[in-house]
Amino acid sequence: MPDATPAGTRGRPGVLERTRAALAVVSRRWDARLVFSAATLGYLVVYLATVGDLSVAASGRGPLSVRVADDLSRALASLGFFRYGAVAVVSAGPVTYLFSPLNAALAVALAVLVGANLALTYLGLVQPQACGLESSTGVLAGIPALLSGAACCGPTILLVLGVQASATVITGFQYLVPLAVAMLVGSLLLVGRNVDPALL
Amino acid sequence: MNRHSTRRAFLASVGVGMATFAGCLGDSRGSRDAAGVSTLGEETTAAGDAQPGPPTRPDALPLPWPAGDVAGRAVSGGPPKDGIPSIDDPSFESAADADSDLDPGDPVFGLAVDGDVRAYPQAILVSHEICNDVVAGQPVSVTYCPLTGTAMGFERGDTTFGVSGRLVNNNLVMYDRATETWWPQVLATGVPGPWNSPEETRSLREFRLVWTTWGRWRDQHPDTEVLSRDTGFAKNYDRDPYGSYNPRRGYYAPESTPLFSSPSDDDRLATKTVVLGARTTAGAVAFEKDRLRNERLVAGDLAGTPVLAVYDDALDTGYVYRNPDERAFDSSDGTVEDENGETHDPDSLPLDRVLAFDAMWFAWSGFYPDTSLHA
Repeated sequence: MPDATPAGTRGRPGVLERTRAALAVVSRRWDARLVFSAATLGYLVVYLATVGDLSVAASGRGPLSVRVADDLSRALASLGFFRYGAVAVVSAGPVTYLFSPLNAALAVALAVLVGANLALTYLGLVQPQACGLESSTGVLAGIPALLSGAACCGPTILLVLGVQASATVITGFQYLVPLAVAMLVGSLLLVGRNVDPALL
Repeated sequence: MNRHSTRRAFLASVGVGMATFAGCLGDSRGSRDAAGVSTLGEETTAAGDAQPGPPTRPDALPLPWPAGDVAGRAVSGGPPKDGIPSIDDPSFESAADADSDLDPGDPVFGLAVDGDVRAYPQAILVSHEICNDVVAGQPVSVTYCPLTGTAMGFERGDTTFGVSGRLVNNNLVMYDRATETWWPQVLATGVPGPWNSPEETRSLREFRLVWTTWGRWRDQHPDTEVLSRDTGFAKNYDRDPYGSYNPRRGYYAPESTPLFSSPSDDDRLATKTVVLGARTTAGAVAFEKDRLRNERLVAGDLAGTPVLAVYDDALDTGYVYRNPDERAFDSSDGTVEDENGETHDPDSLPLDRVLAFDAMWFAWSGFYPDTSLHA
């Protein structure tokens, strides 16, 4: 029976497999792991700061204090723009963190995606021939989520820029987080498509 | 505390108290306010008694647009209904305890009535906008809209107010939890909305909150209670997402742009300039706060009636009185002297006081485009 597989694609793993293989390389190499960890942690901190969950005050509030909300179901309360209620305030010196389980989960997911994108980009830079990786736009894909922070009554970024909001703009802000997730996943797969596991 | 401040504290307390629960603050009740007679029961309208929801006044305040058009001008700021949670079970602490959290220059909204003296820090209310409280046995709501710079008190009856998540002219749209009627804060009037369409146009019974600083309020009311940060919510009360009043910057800077478009096209003052505004069923008047600070007494006009704005330097606030006979007053050393040589505290002139409150100019002129302005 003749082989119906077109020449050139025979045995070539799919995009998901190739991406998984590239990420496996990240997990094996200490330098790539370092890039992944630093990028993930850095993005996590920046994201939590821009959405207002993490802040630094000029005057500290003692070594460590934890204040828990009376109603823990506030964790499920929507504050708009893919933001949810906090259930605890953790203060350590000048740093205050509002612990919102759903915000934290979203932040970690976004940060891991950014970290993975950056780690693959790093591999592409240090081993372009071996991996066939191209520079990734994954880090840029993480920017929309950074803009999604909102004050009580509107997007924080508009306050910072002094730009007036409109109903359309507000509607648009609701899509920033899904847009960021889609771009980060798309970027990751784009890089993964160019990986040939046989070369890794 | 010295005798002067004790007397001032007492008078301020009584004055505000009368103002509060005389509902004085409406245009036809000021004399009762001045006389110090609490007429809470008398002023509750028949309609207010018969219908669920918060108590209302007998005469509806003016609206800038037909009542049915107000909701159509509302925009969503992002948070859904109650996404900004009102404080429904407030707790209070002493002035000494509050000192660790408040700088003397931080804004607070003061209320003193029948011996209950309370300060509501702006730093807390910026995250909640509404505090459903009971003061001197009376259920009230202390409300604050950061985007229009307005702090206003309302009687709430058996219900509570919540934050709808919508804004009209950048101003907080409250809703009452009994009827789900929308009540834009500055308009203080129920309007048809998506959750309920009241048959009548009714306005809330409101009372004066004093926008001042913690240091000034504490000096005048050393025994004040202060809204505690123990609100039951996990909020960061050290961070104002809009900017700062101490010093004034960010969204609160005088020249900065409102977050949402405003119907106001009146550029006689910078957008966020603070005015002391008063409105009645007849019209509206605004006094630029800086001018009032400098001149201490400013004569004005409210829909053809002479009015007088008086500065109170102890609390850095002002009061507006009807002065139809254009009586002459002179201000010095924190008191006001009438033509007979008698002295009065700024909040207790022998005139008919009208409810007045601080507001950003764009907000005031957007809601009351025909307002007279004394700047």
